[in-house]
Amino acid sequence: MAHSVSPLRFFRVVPTQPALIVWTFLVVVAIGGIAIAREPSRSTDLMRSVLLLQLFAASSGFEVPARRGHYDLLLTSGHRRIWVALVHWATSIAPGVLAWLVLAAVEATARGSTDADLLASGTCAAMGLVSTMPWAITVRLPRFSGGIGWLLVLTLSTSVLSSGTMPGSRGANEVDESIWSAWEFLVYPAVFVGRELSIGDGLIAAPALMIALASIAAACRWVSRASIPLEAAQ
Amino acid sequence: MTSFSVSVRDLAVQYGRRLVFQDVSFDIAAGQSLGVLGPNGSGKTTLLRTLAGCLTPRVGEVRIAGLTPRDALTRTGVAYFAGEATLPGSVRASGWGSLGNGDVVTPDRRPIRALSRGTRQLLGLRTVLGRHPLGLIVLDEPWEALDPDAARWLSTTLETKRDRGASLVLSSHRLHDLAGFCDSYLFLLPHQAKVVHAHEISATSPVTAAQLAEVFDKVRGGAMSLRAVS
Repeated sequence: MAHSVSPLRFFRVVPTQPALIVWTFLVVVAIGGIAIAREPSRSTDLMRSVLLLQLFAASSGFEVPARRGHYDLLLTSGHRRIWVALVHWATSIAPGVLAWLVLAAVEATARGSTDADLLASGTCAAMGLVSTMPWAITVRLPRFSGGIGWLLVLTLSTSVLSSGTMPGSRGANEVDESIWSAWEFLVYPAVFVGRELSIGDGLIAAPALMIALASIAAACRWVSRASIPLEAAQ
Repeated sequence: MTSFSVSVRDLAVQYGRRLVFQDVSFDIAAGQSLGVLGPNGSGKTTLLRTLAGCLTPRVGEVRIAGLTPRDALTRTGVAYFAGEATLPGSVRASGWGSLGNGDVVTPDRRPIRALSRGTRQLLGLRTVLGRHPLGLIVLDEPWEALDPDAARWLSTTLETKRDRGASLVLSSHRLHDLAGFCDSYLFLLPHQAKVVHAHEISATSPVTAAQLAEVFDKVRGGAMSLRAVS
């Protein structure tokens, strides 16, 4: 086989993220790191900013740049498309994951223990959800579509299902509690940030996390099999 | 010398309800070249993307060294370039150039979008053709926007690769780009595709652009005219 570029090297040269997203993460980490170092209890508030940014960072989009021919060199390099998809996903979420880990390290250091809110299982679940579904949803759509769509669903959920109340202050008594809770985590995963998940919480989070995994699998399958015409050739 | 061949049988591609082309069949032996000619919108780019494994045809068969294009990509070197417009504009030229065989193609650190059209085209070509060994080279309008020096470099490079056993598939809508360069020519027209070998057009000397134009007109006029040429 001819010398061919690896997906990791390709996406280092051809980033899946605009520079603006990376710089925004850097600013959030710098400001957030100082704030958490001075007051560790503020970590969960800052984590919500990271989750919001990650929502858009993960919504990187694959098909649109591929149809512009930007990925031709990689797609014809002989590497399996499943690896191309997985590396695209990993590089899309990497800045957000790094930002989270740095802030968690700062919090753990400031608290003097590993018992940090940003390392709680609820935070991990929220980060996992925000790092998977937006990428999968956006794989065939323009950049940021998943994030925008998610915010739309969140807005509709808060206004329609709970009569305008904000997430976390539930008011839909007529809706079955557990279904509502699962839906709430799906559309607003930040609700679990800083919490250690109980068994009950785990059952609430499980459907959303399973949907997230299934969506990643479906997106990778699409990348593996897709015909990718050039935009201009159609 | 690499033993390599491309075989296409009864290929048809459509986007939605629009049929791009149908009944396309040809063979290319190792070390031979095929020129794909046709007007804008005739399906040249689509055909080339199918050969490069980017598109999966629903009708017909493509075999590269006996393998499907996707499988062939993993077993042998395939170079494919669809033109400077496919390069990501925000990427640094030096970074893109390093994606070929790892060598420095250009030290220019400007974003690709800041380069001239011809420089972008040359960057893309040098990156894909820098890889080796290559069994199949598929280039879409490769001479487009190149200055005379770059065009000469491209022709020389392609001849060298062909002499080493690579099969070439080159497209153009300008006849003079491909005249005299290819062993056979595929005339791709709406609802019609014809392969004419260079020796059928001119038995003794390299094919000229004028001769290609004459054949092109006859192909457009119908199959009977083509037989008269042969």
